[in-house]
Amino acid sequence: DGTWPHVYVAILIYLASLIALFYFFTRMFS
Amino acid sequence: MRPLDWVVLGGTLATIVLYGLYKGRGSDTMHKYLLADRTMPWYAMALSIMATQASAITFISTTGQAYVDGMRFVQFYFGLPIAMVILSATAVPLFHRANVYTAYEFLEKRFDTKTRTLASVIFLIQRGLAVGLSLYAPAIVLAVIFGWPDRLTTLVMGGLITIYTVAGGIKAVTWTDVQQMIIILCGLVVAFFMIVHMLPGGVSFLDALYLAGATGKLNAVDLKFDFNNQFNLWSGLIGGCFLALSYFGCDQSQVQRYLTGKSIAQSKLSLLFTATAKIPMQFGILFVGAMVFVFFLFERPPFLFQSVAMQRLESPAVSEQFAPIRSQFEQAFEQRKQAAIGMAEARHAHDESRRAQSLAQYRSAQAEIDRLRTSGTKLYERSSGEKGFNDTNYIFLSFVTRYLPAGVVGLLIAVIFAAAMSSSSGEVNSLATVTVIDVYRKHIRPVATDRHYLWVSRLATAFWASYAVFFAQYAKKLGSLIVAVNLLGSLFYGSLLGVFVLAFWFRRVTGTGAFLGMLLGEAAIFAAFWFTGISFLWYNVIGCVVVIATGLAVSWLRPTP
Repeated sequence: DGTWPHVYVAILIYLASLIALFYFFTRMFS
Repeated sequence: MRPLDWVVLGGTLATIVLYGLYKGRGSDTMHKYLLADRTMPWYAMALSIMATQASAITFISTTGQAYVDGMRFVQFYFGLPIAMVILSATAVPLFHRANVYTAYEFLEKRFDTKTRTLASVIFLIQRGLAVGLSLYAPAIVLAVIFGWPDRLTTLVMGGLITIYTVAGGIKAVTWTDVQQMIIILCGLVVAFFMIVHMLPGGVSFLDALYLAGATGKLNAVDLKFDFNNQFNLWSGLIGGCFLALSYFGCDQSQVQRYLTGKSIAQSKLSLLFTATAKIPMQFGILFVGAMVFVFFLFERPPFLFQSVAMQRLESPAVSEQFAPIRSQFEQAFEQRKQAAIGMAEARHAHDESRRAQSLAQYRSAQAEIDRLRTSGTKLYERSSGEKGFNDTNYIFLSFVTRYLPAGVVGLLIAVIFAAAMSSSSGEVNSLATVTVIDVYRKHIRPVATDRHYLWVSRLATAFWASYAVFFAQYAKKLGSLIVAVNLLGSLFYGSLLGVFVLAFWFRRVTGTGAFLGMLLGEAAIFAAFWFTGISFLWYNVIGCVVVIATGLAVSWLRPTP
């Protein structure tokens, strides 16, 4: 088998950013 | 389909088969045939995971869904990255270190034979029910659009996957998945740019976004919690996470992809890449559907996109009732078109009062079009006796065949074939693996040479590929039962997830506890299905919780001596 936990946290931050981006996208054009 | 389209489609399919045979050569032991000798790099596994998940109907239906219902379906995938992180931290290292061919083999190492057998039988039923549908579903859409006989289409798709899957095993499946995923992504990008390019001169891409957004087509996030609503942020995050945990952690058709990794790290990376790429990909597919909606603001769409239904509405028996609906539809279309042009012009001129007036007319015309389409659909259902009709699956391909140039149509039909073949080949390959490892080698012939098991694996692959084609050939005779068959398959994930959660995290749970937990979990899911209106995304949560609670209770009452 830097570290895997760092990668996992980065993925979750990425997910949160993606949801925030989609929410902004939804609000901007609705 | 014009000659150039046939060249593109035929060339693509031939390349897939030849590439599969080339990459699959040398699979001359069971370990190579079923696990590629654990030599796969992360990017091949990642694209194979995504290609196996993306069936043809995902591609056809998702674009149509955005046209009709907007982009809220993307929330369904919000739980996937969370599930991938959990699986990377738990399932991947445990499966790899247990040195197993199948996820269910792991259950015997952790619990006992009966738990492994029950889980593998559940998988064979669940996946066996669905395997032919991956071929049948796109074939019936292509039959309506092009008039191709659906039996011929399923025979071609099934025949091609049989050639490279039987010959090359999982190496052929994985590398053709990579190729098919690249074809799918290229097709998507080409379709997107073609649609934007075909918008009228005065309508910019930004105008298109405002026009789609004004009717709610770009609503990608719904914060309201509702148990009965499939698509909101919370059902996506929680229900979607449980569904992804079940699918990627307990379904051999996905587990087998990342068991072929050359190291634990490579397998983890394959799941984590999927975690980052899947949501943008689905967003892209839905966005193409939303842009098709904008395109049809300026180009009159067919009243219904399913040509067989349209022929019925135009037949002498029904046309008298349909004529007023159609003429109102045409008026509403013209009103919507003028309002859309007015909105774009007002936005460019920064004329806020005209923009607000056009927006009100635009929304009113859209509501009228939706109402008329509903009336027309009901008229079709009454006259044909068909219930639950919808034309979502026909929208994107109708657009493609009527408006896109030669060559591009062939590419997008190749995308449909590639998506159908990539999901079917993964299913066939995994069904054969479970048949050989969890049934044949475990219960029928525990001792034999590697060469014997290799040939049994080839035979099992040929059997499941033939079964898929046979099922697809006769699926039409099932009629509306086909929906029930598809639904039945989705009711087994919760209990499988529950037993793997017990295996990974609850050391004191016994084999009997896990076995009884699976049975009770399955009963709970069927009860939720029959007696409640809860969205199917929550079934996995219910099943999983019941399995864990039962497993813990039984193990506490009857601990291992």
